[in-house]
Amino acid sequence: MLKSNWSRFWPGMLVAALLALVFSVAPMGYGNTSLLFMMMTFIVLAQGLNLLYGFTGYLPFGYVGFFGTGAYAAALMVMKLHAPVWAAVLAGPLASMAIALVLGPLLRLSGAYFSIANLAASQILFFVISNPHMTGITGGPYGVKLDRIFAPTASYAAMIVLVVLTTLIAAYFRYSRFGQGLRAMADDPVSAEMSAIPVVRMRLMAWLTSAAVAGLAGAIYAWNLSVFYPDAVFSLQISIFAIVFALFGGVGTVLGPIIGAGLLYALYNAIGISAPQYFQLIYGVLIVGLVMFLPEGILSLLTRRGINVF
Amino acid sequence: MSSEPLLKLSGIEKSFSGLKVLNGVNFDLQKGEIIGLVGPNGSGKTSVINLISGVLRPDSGTIRFNGSEVQTLPSHTRVKAGINRSFQVPKCFVSMTVRENIEVAAHFSGQDADTSAILAEIGLKHLADKSAGALTANQQKMLDLGRALATRPKLLLVDEIGAGLNPAELSGIATLLKGITARGVSLIVVEHLMEFLNALTERVIVLSAGKIIFEGSLEAASRDAAVVTAFFGGAV
Amino acid sequence: MTALLEYAIVGGLLYGIFFGLVAVGLNLIFGVMRIINLAHGEFVVLGGFGAYWLTSAFGLNPLWGVPLAALGAVVIGFPLYYAIVPRLQRSRDPEMLSFILFFGLAQVIEALVTLGFGPDQRTLPSDALGSGSPSVFGQAFPESWWWAAGISVVAIVGLWLYLTRTRLGFATRAIMANRDEALATGISVDRVSSIAFIIGLALAGAAGVFVPYLQGSVAPGIGNDLTTTSFAILIIGSLGNPIGTLLGGLVFGVGSMLMQTFYASWSNLVPYVLLVAIVLIRPQGLFGKSVRHA
Repeated sequence: MLKSNWSRFWPGMLVAALLALVFSVAPMGYGNTSLLFMMMTFIVLAQGLNLLYGFTGYLPFGYVGFFGTGAYAAALMVMKLHAPVWAAVLAGPLASMAIALVLGPLLRLSGAYFSIANLAASQILFFVISNPHMTGITGGPYGVKLDRIFAPTASYAAMIVLVVLTTLIAAYFRYSRFGQGLRAMADDPVSAEMSAIPVVRMRLMAWLTSAAVAGLAGAIYAWNLSVFYPDAVFSLQISIFAIVFALFGGVGTVLGPIIGAGLLYALYNAIGISAPQYFQLIYGVLIVGLVMFLPEGILSLLTRRGINVF
Repeated sequence: MSSEPLLKLSGIEKSFSGLKVLNGVNFDLQKGEIIGLVGPNGSGKTSVINLISGVLRPDSGTIRFNGSEVQTLPSHTRVKAGINRSFQVPKCFVSMTVRENIEVAAHFSGQDADTSAILAEIGLKHLADKSAGALTANQQKMLDLGRALATRPKLLLVDEIGAGLNPAELSGIATLLKGITARGVSLIVVEHLMEFLNALTERVIVLSAGKIIFEGSLEAASRDAAVVTAFFGGAV
Repeated sequence: MTALLEYAIVGGLLYGIFFGLVAVGLNLIFGVMRIINLAHGEFVVLGGFGAYWLTSAFGLNPLWGVPLAALGAVVIGFPLYYAIVPRLQRSRDPEMLSFILFFGLAQVIEALVTLGFGPDQRTLPSDALGSGSPSVFGQAFPESWWWAAGISVVAIVGLWLYLTRTRLGFATRAIMANRDEALATGISVDRVSSIAFIIGLALAGAAGVFVPYLQGSVAPGIGNDLTTTSFAILIIGSLGNPIGTLLGGLVFGVGSMLMQTFYASWSNLVPYVLLVAIVLIRPQGLFGKSVRHA
């Protein structure tokens, strides 16, 4: 029986605390903090994507659009309004949620239509922001420079906070009444409506939450990087990684995206940076193999044996 | 003071891509009443159910329920107001257990319905912790009915629940539905099986080509020329 | 100004007819198998590199790339179909899972093409398809454009004739209308579908032969753009009907050329804006009949 008390949530807090500990301690023994930062970014993005895809069945192929929007919102706050860092970082999720609201009608589309339309929407954002005519506003193709607020340690810490926050949100989605309603909608929206579940509103809430996570990640990423070109935050590769990482671990769980992003991003660094096409080949094969043989991700190896996965 | 009927349909029209499936449907249902809704295939019975439950919106006309107009409200709001239904082809929440299927409806409707009592009533108590996806088609029908009951409806729309059941199962469902009406719930039952309907109610509405062609007792319906023509065609 | 407009429209028509061919294979495969071939653009790219290989290694005319695409489609498509499609059709969510699977396949093809040919842009000899520039309404376009448009029309009309005039085509349309019923009437669904799958890939590959002429070059990384553009065209033109796809291509082609002529820097937005606008306003396509399920 599903109880809405704290005993359901302690595993989420435990996982979040462990992640915080690992990423706080790791820089002391491991010099490549930018790799650790990127790994956290991808854990957040894979988890944020999981909030939507794993719990509602909507696969946002253009998820990177929210990430890029967050990054640019933060950058413009700093460059144009000379806003303090905290305000710039908060502008990220607000902007991505605004975009998500505008794109809300896409949720009326089903399956692949939604995914492709979302991809197109992220391309539109990218082309508009990187357009040479926009140079005066967004920096156009020449990117942005935020060296005034450059603070690698503080932004690293902020990303740890976001990892914790996202993990807790995922745990809430998995073990609350709200999450149960989302699963009912994913199973059958008509029966869900007839169970008094406000399908449209709840789907929109999941969509906004997922967008906010990516927007916040983008803002903190911009803060950490401080100098970047538009394709660094709008590259389709970012969507692809988030999808593959989440799928690989197993969507609809809390641990899946964390494990998927952790393992595969490490693998990417081992072979991908020097020979990107070999890594592309490997993850291509991995995706095909996953869909064919393990559509629920590697964690399903455990669930198939009756082990309950968090 | 004459009390307002629980449900009142006035001038309901509905078309699909130019094809008129309902053409001026009017009827009332009193609190605690049971109506059988019959008619040949394609006469618009399921459309009536879909319109009352909010799965579809009418092109024109009004649906008053319990004193207010509901035709523009989304389904989940109508469910909270006390309308629910079962589906001809039920789609249960297959990623959940049988009990969770009931719980989720009880929770979101804000009715703290007794899950165990409902499971017992629909005869699935022994399967409560099984996955809903593992149920047989007939068990899924019962679970679908249980989901509706968990929202404590004042009006329950039952869409061809008898199809594919054997006589023993049919009489079991008839008993179950009578038990539900004994608690004051009104029913609209769409059904092909006249014996089953006969066991439940006296009053039927006959639809043909989107219009009500008869309203009255089941027995009178079987002697009505228009009804006989609608079911068997004029040529025979 | 008028000359510019005429130039954009004539060019857009040629460009659009060609993009009808680019998209039509995606439409066929989706219509028959209800799976979205996200590797579609990569198959177009493969066709382009096939033609590049023929010209650079053997000095052949790039038009030999068209039969090579057909051959390649049989060699790749047949085993690929039987390895994945029947298994996908049995899964819990064929549409979404196929979407992800073919996306993985796209990555594999892109990686293999990059490994085989390098990541650079490749061009075909500019005079291989004739060096003249036939003109219409005083608007001159290279002969390669006319070749591309001509072969596209032949291929699309050929596909339409196949679907409407042959027994196999009839069976294919039966499967498009209702796969289960087709199965029940004794149509060998897998055989007919695998042929449609191969035709879809062959059409994509054949379109690829002309990509270096119409887009300037072919590179491993452009597959993704071609897939989304094709998807936009397919949605504009309505699902299932190759003639609809041709019309969708024309809308896209003329729209793109007008933008390129008058607002060049915004022209890459065209397919994406069209796609989003159409799925939101008229999901059944501009030329499709309204379809509703009661």
